[in-house]
Amino acid sequence: MRGFARSILRRRLAVLGLALVAAHLAIALAAPLIVPHDPFKLLDAPLEPPGAAYLLGTDELGRDFFSRLIMGGRVAIAAALAAGFLAAFGGGLVGLAAAYYRGLFDDVVSRLVEMKLAIPAILFVSLFVTGFGQTLPVLVFVMAVIKMMGVIRTARAQGLVLMEQGYVKAAILRGERGPVVILREMLPNVADLLSVEFALRSSSAMLLVSALSFLGLGLSPPTPDWGLMIHDGLQSIRSEPWLILAPALCISTLVVGMNFAIEGVADAAGLEAARGTAGH
Amino acid sequence: MIVAVARRIALSLLTLVLLAIFVFVATEIMPGDALDVTLSADELAMIPPERLAQMKRELGLDRPAAERLVAFLAGTVQLDFGLTIISRTPAADIIAYPLRNSVLLAGAVLAAAIPLALALGVAAAYRYRRALDNAVSAGAIIGYSVPEFVIATVLVILFAVLWPLFPATITAATRDPAHVLLAAAPLPVATVLIGSIAYLARILRVGMIEALASDFVERLRLTGVPEWRVLLLHALPAGVIPSLTAMALYAASLVSGIVVVELVFAYPGLGQELVRAVTRREVHVIQAIALSSAVVVVGLNLVADLAILLLDPRTRR
Repeated sequence: MRGFARSILRRRLAVLGLALVAAHLAIALAAPLIVPHDPFKLLDAPLEPPGAAYLLGTDELGRDFFSRLIMGGRVAIAAALAAGFLAAFGGGLVGLAAAYYRGLFDDVVSRLVEMKLAIPAILFVSLFVTGFGQTLPVLVFVMAVIKMMGVIRTARAQGLVLMEQGYVKAAILRGERGPVVILREMLPNVADLLSVEFALRSSSAMLLVSALSFLGLGLSPPTPDWGLMIHDGLQSIRSEPWLILAPALCISTLVVGMNFAIEGVADAAGLEAARGTAGH
Repeated sequence: MIVAVARRIALSLLTLVLLAIFVFVATEIMPGDALDVTLSADELAMIPPERLAQMKRELGLDRPAAERLVAFLAGTVQLDFGLTIISRTPAADIIAYPLRNSVLLAGAVLAAAIPLALALGVAAAYRYRRALDNAVSAGAIIGYSVPEFVIATVLVILFAVLWPLFPATITAATRDPAHVLLAAAPLPVATVLIGSIAYLARILRVGMIEALASDFVERLRLTGVPEWRVLLLHALPAGVIPSLTAMALYAASLVSGIVVVELVFAYPGLGQELVRAVTRREVHVIQAIALSSAVVVVGLNLVADLAILLLDPRTRR
């Protein structure tokens, strides 16, 4: 374990990434305690310039922009982590079950995965938002489903390898039932794989939720959110570009940090992590 | 060989049929029907029940779900996505030109991204774990980690506001000829290009590292084959061909990226149309957009699979 930590610390980008993620998480958690003003309250004239009273000025409605910036990651990060967790855990179970049961169940799952991979994420969300309304639970659920598909693929491939292992064969010969074999014998052996998947899917869910909010298909006002803030900032892009650049810097440092950290940790652990599955 | 090709084509068609069923179920059966989705609950409450029943009869929504599904699939095959509920225009007409414009944008991006990604990926793999590789790998992570809408808005601030080289929004119209649209679109293309190069270079780098580490490359080097021949004539195909599947999977992300960028720059493509359709709750337009982009994505994946079958003898079993 100590060797593992040292191996991570040797990788400069991994350290940078972990530091960025830690800083973002700390700010997001402590946000309600450290904001100088109420982020929802109309305090002053709209689009006041940065100054002593308001560190980054006021937004187009006259709310303190700095306070909204500090609060702006909370909902999106929580939604991304929830979707990432559901995707990793649910996708892991479905993928292992497909590898264990094979047959019709496997065929159906594989076809569904392929089908989903063919619809661009933003379109998939649009379909559901149109049908079920644009609420946070719907959003988290849809993102989890989208991100789950890649996990199912990975877990199924690994599950097929595990099915050939002695201890899994022994458990089956002992007469253990399917769910027991999957949960007790197979799941622990893909735990590290699924942890990497959790991190990867969370980081791409973060990209997705902020893009959706930017498009007006994700989080809704008055939630302070970086994607929404950048969208609103477009109106005053010529006169107040910092209203775009500040949230842009926040979201970018967060996702870049997450992906540096994932790459470094997975590399140190000898896992072939991201290979092409990361990103969007 | 012929069996394998036929199998791939059949699977792609099956995927598309399942997708069409899924799109219909998700938008018209699960939440009610097209009218329920189009109108808000308040609007529905204000319409007298007899009038509502009559409207549903006129729109054919009083028929059972299975019958409507069959009609939907039959229409889709003939590229008839139905009329929009409010304005009664064919959804297919609404998306035809935006579809062309988006394909144009995607084509321009890929035409530039593939050679650049190839060069970066091969160079990084050749200098595996050295300075150049580390720079390309870190750059690639940054390239696909920064959201497209952030790249787009920063490019606007840099090249349309601070240094006004390009217009901030596109002035070309939906039905302008292709060259007018492309001439107006350097910033949108540049935005999507950054993420595309990052993503594709990463995939190609992994493929090339595996190819360069394989026994046959070692043997070629030992027999004295010049290094450039080893790299370009032997390792390159061996590295690129297996990467085609992963590269084709990028098509779906490319569509998502293009949707976002079109909105920032007001480029008259499917992305603009999509957001308009979602806010107006035009179910048929959303369905048409989802299905037409699915055809593009499934088609590209099919092409990649067929190319692998054709080029890699090991897969022909």
